[in-house]
Amino acid sequence: MKAQLDMDKIRKGLGAERGGKITARGGHFGAHGLAAEVQARFRVPTGGGRASVPEWTERRLLPLAPKTLTRMEDLAAKLRSKSGVGIEPMQLAGLLLERIAGAISDDDLDELLSLPLMEQKAAG
Amino acid sequence: MPRRAFAIRAPAIYIDRVMADPLLPGGKRVLAVLFIPSVERDGTTPVEQDHWADGALEVFGTLFGGATAYPKARGIWRDDERGGALVRDEPVVVHCYTTPEEIENADKLGRLARFCRRMGRETNQGEIGLVIGDEYFAIRDFREE
Repeated sequence: MKAQLDMDKIRKGLGAERGGKITARGGHFGAHGLAAEVQARFRVPTGGGRASVPEWTERRLLPLAPKTLTRMEDLAAKLRSKSGVGIEPMQLAGLLLERIAGAISDDDLDELLSLPLMEQKAAG
Repeated sequence: MPRRAFAIRAPAIYIDRVMADPLLPGGKRVLAVLFIPSVERDGTTPVEQDHWADGALEVFGTLFGGATAYPKARGIWRDDERGGALVRDEPVVVHCYTTPEEIENADKLGRLARFCRRMGRETNQGEIGLVIGDEYFAIRDFREE
């Protein structure tokens, strides 16, 4: 799948003007966007069981701080009531991880690799 | 007669939903958001919002496989062509997840744009707003092509 959208192609196709980037992740686009993504992507398997995203086939143990787990539990509970989908805390963690990983483009990685070693350490 | 206790389920937040095809493996990761206005650009004349929300769901469902319309939000828009008049609005917000390939498809974009222009023209708007990915797109020319 492509990592970057061709915004000029979309602008031409729509006959629209580009109005700038949306940078806020909170508010409407944060909460409603997350709820919409859960509703759109989570499916109950045909054989029954917990709703999940069909392409999530890998499982790993993920170390995390207690406060992060508590936060995931709180957010998952709110998303369950908002989306009507029985999302679990670590499924939410997987969704958020996927979003962040997807936001890092190949160009970003190339730029990181092109940095001198000392700057890489400073950046990390 | 004994009274029975009923569990009251939380109401669903979407008002309608269209899912033409099951989601395909590979993931639909591009979010497209369309705002359905509640009033004309004069800020007072109501528009047939349910009709346009239904239309938007049909367009997104047909072109991209599904969409969700959220209940009325509260919005405001500054109409610079009318001396900066503030138009208070209660838009319905339609969310659609799709793929980069689908959202860059010229035919699909053209059909989506036709719907937006028709909505803008027939509901007398100054602008129709679309968010695709992380960018806002403004459609202001509603003439048919």
